[in-house]
Amino acid sequence: MTKKQRSHGKLHRRVAGLLALGFALMTLGLLYGAFAPQPQVAQAQGDPAQLRKGEQIYNNTCISCHGANLEGVTDRGPSLIGAGEASVYFQTATGRMPATKQEAQISRKPPKLTPEEIDALIAFVDSKGGGVKLPEESGKDLVGDNPARGGELFRLNCASCHNFTGRGGALSSGKYAPALDGVSEKEMYAAMVSGPQNMPKFSDRQLSPEEKKDIIAYVKSVTDGNNNPGGNALGGLGPQSEGLIAFIVGMAALVGITLWIGAKA
Amino acid sequence: MSSTNPTDLPSDDELAQMSREDLVKLGGKLDGVEIVEYPDPWPVKGTRAEKRAERAVALWFLIAAISGFAFVGVFLFWPSAYTAPDTEGYFAYSLFTPLLGATLGLSVLAIGAGALLYTKKFIPHEVAVQQRSDGGSSELDKKTILAHLADAGDRSTIARRSLIKSSAGLGMTAMGLGVGVFALGGLVRDPWAQTDTKNSLWHTGWMNEPGNNEKVFLRRATGHAHEVVLVKPEDLDAGSMETVFPFRESEREDHHALSAALKRSDNPVMLIRLRSEDGRKVVKHQGQEDFNYGDYYAYTKICSHLGCPTSLYEQRTNRILCPCHQSQFDALQYAKPIFGPATRKLAQLPIAVDEETGYLYARSDFIEPIGPAFWERKS
Repeated sequence: MTKKQRSHGKLHRRVAGLLALGFALMTLGLLYGAFAPQPQVAQAQGDPAQLRKGEQIYNNTCISCHGANLEGVTDRGPSLIGAGEASVYFQTATGRMPATKQEAQISRKPPKLTPEEIDALIAFVDSKGGGVKLPEESGKDLVGDNPARGGELFRLNCASCHNFTGRGGALSSGKYAPALDGVSEKEMYAAMVSGPQNMPKFSDRQLSPEEKKDIIAYVKSVTDGNNNPGGNALGGLGPQSEGLIAFIVGMAALVGITLWIGAKA
Repeated sequence: MSSTNPTDLPSDDELAQMSREDLVKLGGKLDGVEIVEYPDPWPVKGTRAEKRAERAVALWFLIAAISGFAFVGVFLFWPSAYTAPDTEGYFAYSLFTPLLGATLGLSVLAIGAGALLYTKKFIPHEVAVQQRSDGGSSELDKKTILAHLADAGDRSTIARRSLIKSSAGLGMTAMGLGVGVFALGGLVRDPWAQTDTKNSLWHTGWMNEPGNNEKVFLRRATGHAHEVVLVKPEDLDAGSMETVFPFRESEREDHHALSAALKRSDNPVMLIRLRSEDGRKVVKHQGQEDFNYGDYYAYTKICSHLGCPTSLYEQRTNRILCPCHQSQFDALQYAKPIFGPATRKLAQLPIAVDEETGYLYARSDFIEPIGPAFWERKS
């Protein structure tokens, strides 16, 4: 073999080696792309303009209690990393957030943020760690078709705090379970999956979406003056208030009529 | 007491001759009543006013009749089957109960009004004077009545018939005892009877009958009594609470047992999944260190004060509240009472995960009695 032939063979081998390596790398890359699991970490998604708007709203309204990086501020507000769509939607759409002061329980009030602002804020918070999603549907689509079963589930899971017709009730140290009148279907669903304040969470594996919708159907059928044949629920507390009113008002009316008859006779 | 002189009474012949008016007067006189005035409310018959009054009374009774019939009609024919709000026919359905009340109530009211109006318009408003004696009975009356009673007792010879007296006393005492047992006997239970069965005060429905080594799984109630859904550790989010009931594989097809398990009063157990950061703070009870499974803790739902369902779980403060008397238990400290009248902790159920199926199960029954105190209970 001459020297020239040797160098030619060397070049040939090098080119072939490079080609083989490139092919192998490409195959590996393709295979990885095909089989690698989707990343588990949350990533910023969606419209960058939306995220910027959300960040601006966050910096204007939330940052003093939840921190510059959503990490939370001790004794002011919890971390929002992983809070999720459902939680942000519930807290802002019911006006609980932005809160006006620190107290035992943040109450419902007219929302401060517009729906567009809420959407932007949801996108921003969701980009920082994901969390529990909102349902796809809203409004009437979240009302199940079996309110009777929803009633069973409501009495087992919800009624101990919210009362059996959603009138609410007291908890410890000034906290309370709110009445469910005027709460939209989507807010109720978001509350169940996100567990706002001291309410426990009800994951979709614990109460399936269908069961949640049945519960919403039941709540909708007994709140906002529905299924209230007497015209006045008298607090919806059961026999105590009804008995008291029947006794005081009924007895007073009977005594009054008797006196009137006696006076006329 | 009438003090009519017997000589004033008419003889039988006179009585036969007396008119009804005379008889009325006589009756009044015998009771010491004298009718002064007995005016006819309508001295001139057939006036327009009288007719109007008559029609008014009839109108009330007619209203009573119409609303009474309306009640029957509503009861029979009005749509009374449950109709959900926002669906067609809800408005008609929502009127069912008010209509029942309104129609029957109006009927009762109209009958009352008609009767009152009739009394007012047509019954003469008499003026009568009745003699009334003041003070108590006369000495004569008192003496005679006492003598009468004593005489009756004497003639019954009860004073010297001791056999009858004592047998009657025995009979009445035994009957009283029977009534007392009837009223109270059902409330007394022997806590030492059947101490090794689940029907005793010492155990719950989570206990297997002796000799049965089946696993007792944690079952979720889904609103369908015969549906079996078991609980896996990944089912609950952190900061969740769920009520679970015992389930044995041998009961899967037994519909009666499946629905009975959901209703048995000592069965409900709160399965709580703490947040991991709270789980690290948990203080466990001595001897019950391995009763939890990770962040899952299972406490009885029956309050240790008077047995109400203590299912108000606050997931931020990790307190469990009882709605009846405001007892509070700390889920991070073996559910010990921290407020209110309860003095004992909520019993904890030892749980683990079945390696074959991945479902949570109870390793045994509670190791202490659940619910309110009873005398023989040591703690």
